[in-house]
Amino acid sequence: MITCTGLSKHFGSIHAIDDFTVDIPTGQIFGLLGPNGAGKTTTMRMLCCLLRPTKGTAHIDSYDITKLADAHKIRGMIGFLPEVPGLYETLGAYQNLDYYAQFYNVPKPQRQESIKKTLDDLDLWNRRSEPVGGFSKGMKQKIAIARALIHDPPYLFLDEPTASLDPQAAKLVRDYILDLKTQGTTILINTHNLTEAERICDQVALIKNTLIKVGNPKHLEHSIFARTIAVTVDHIPPTLPQTITSLPGVTLNKIQDTTLYLSVKNPSDDNPRIIDWLSSQGIKITFITEEEHTLEDVYLKLLGTPQGG
Amino acid sequence: MAWHNTWTLTRKDLAEFRHQKLVLGSIIAMPLVLGVIMPLFMFYPLTSLAPTQPTWDVTGLQEYGTLPDTFTAPYTNHTQMNTQAHATTITNTTLIHMTLTNCVLISCIIQDSTLTNSTVAYSVLTESSCVDTILTTSQGTNLSGRHIIADHSDLTFIAIKPSETQLVFPTILNLILIIFIIIPATLPTIIASYSIVGEKNNRSLEPLLATPITDGELLTGKIFSSLIPSMGSTLLAFTLGVSLLDILLLPKIAMPLLPNLTWLLSMLVLAPTACLMSILGCIIVSSKVSDVRAAQQVGGFIVMPVVVLMLGVLSGFILLSPLTVLAFTGIYLGIDLVLFYFAKAIFNREEILTKWK
Ligand SMILES: Nc1ncnc2c1ncn2[C@@H]1O[C@H](COP(=O)(O)OP(=O)(O)OP(=O)(O)O)[C@@H](O)[C@H]1O
Ligand SMILES: [Mg+2]
Repeated sequence: MITCTGLSKHFGSIHAIDDFTVDIPTGQIFGLLGPNGAGKTTTMRMLCCLLRPTKGTAHIDSYDITKLADAHKIRGMIGFLPEVPGLYETLGAYQNLDYYAQFYNVPKPQRQESIKKTLDDLDLWNRRSEPVGGFSKGMKQKIAIARALIHDPPYLFLDEPTASLDPQAAKLVRDYILDLKTQGTTILINTHNLTEAERICDQVALIKNTLIKVGNPKHLEHSIFARTIAVTVDHIPPTLPQTITSLPGVTLNKIQDTTLYLSVKNPSDDNPRIIDWLSSQGIKITFITEEEHTLEDVYLKLLGTPQGG
Repeated sequence: MAWHNTWTLTRKDLAEFRHQKLVLGSIIAMPLVLGVIMPLFMFYPLTSLAPTQPTWDVTGLQEYGTLPDTFTAPYTNHTQMNTQAHATTITNTTLIHMTLTNCVLISCIIQDSTLTNSTVAYSVLTESSCVDTILTTSQGTNLSGRHIIADHSDLTFIAIKPSETQLVFPTILNLILIIFIIIPATLPTIIASYSIVGEKNNRSLEPLLATPITDGELLTGKIFSSLIPSMGSTLLAFTLGVSLLDILLLPKIAMPLLPNLTWLLSMLVLAPTACLMSILGCIIVSSKVSDVRAAQQVGGFIVMPVVVLMLGVLSGFILLSPLTVLAFTGIYLGIDLVLFYFAKAIFNREEILTKWK
């Protein structure tokens, strides 16, 4: 369980993050979303006890990130993927992982086994001894992810884990993360990839130097957008925009070709009524779908489109 | 403090270090050039000035010499040990381990003593050193010294007379020893400056600081990863240098082989403390700056105490002996302790991570 209470970090006059308060239950995947400079990395660094909060605090289990003695305990139970991989470039992938595992007292046989498994999974076992300086950006990122996992930490902090990965590797990492979740790992992810956040996060927090909104991605979408359905019909009588107002709870958003976009308050009641009404008007329905809102829509609505600032 | 964390960090650093061929090369080459090749090239030609055969400027007495008027005998039938006598006339006395200046010695047994400006007659001398001394009608065995005037005496000498040229060799050897102390104090500026600034620059410090390593373990690990290669290459050059001195130089000038106690202590206790001092200086500087070169330059100032020792020795103000070496070790160790606690006190993870410029 991670509890942030009024967590704030100021760099001089820059308020990187202000008054961030959320609870992250054990075993959840929690996404931090926000534009560049929103304070995601700063928040994560505070939780990893790398930066001291200016105000407020956070607890990981019962440990307080602002207490020096607790910080040491916390570092022992987290895995951290920083924004930049920061590997030892002259050393091989195996050595990079091996040295890190030793800081967490992972016994040698277990270390060997878990490094082999991780590198195998990431398709890098064959290149374990090459200096990682010669690796591609994505390969380095994979090793840095492996480094965060190598000691099986109960808490995992990943700053843009899939940022430089190809779709295949990104999926691999996502599956990995979901797999870790089933083992009870609590995972905090910073990401710009909204589809990814939607797919794997139990909760997301939208932040822009302060908490804007937090919740389950689906709930967020529904709480912000009314449900919309798209009904494609054979023809649209010109009077339809007026006549359709007789249906309570239904709003016509727009007409595009022969498709009507309608917002509904209560889909289970309103949808059958719309269908009945359309047939009664002699209009044939050829296609009907729910228009999906994505986390991206939520994001853009809450944080503004680029033009809107 | 978990030593295993310290040791893991050190091993990691050393493993990285092995791949830095250029740095590694200069760490090995510098002590060899400064401590072995350069001194041998400079001082080897001087050996030709040293006499190869024992020669003595013992000349026959032309006149009896100048005996003082105070030719009385205050010391008679005594055994006198471990004291000094100045301008005294001594007769029928056994003198052991004495320092005698301007004395007149008659019918004495003199053992293991140093005589300067004295006159000796009807005496037996053993294992003593005589400088500017007149010996007459005496018997001497195992003597050494300079400017001895002898008459009616039977003298045997053990040591080669130290010539004026030979007198410079002890100074030269001291200089070589000092070089071997300065080298380990200089090498860390190459390595230690990289150790924190380097991790900062390739951004590996951030994940490292997120592991359960404490400040003390991190600093100690960084100290060892500079100390081991610095002292390693110094000791390598030292062993090679001393062997070459023993083979090529010292026998030619009839000086005892090295290393003696002073040399051993200098290398095994003084050099590491000097090395530590400069490592800590570099660590302190590099935890405050992000530029390797700045760290190297500022860190270099910390070798000042070693320069003090060097100037002291070269000016003859400080005599290198086991005792002075231990004294300097103590001083350096004190400085090291202060620097270590200072380095730990100013080591601020957040500042190191956030102040990139
Ligand atoms: N060391 C620092 N010194 C001064 N300001 C900083 C420092 N680190 C971060 N900031 C500021 O804090 C704000 C938040 O930065 P942060 O790196 O947390 O953003 P982010 O959400 O991770 O952005 P991105 O998506 O680009 O990674 C920015 O305005 C940044 O300039
Ligand atoms: Mg960031």
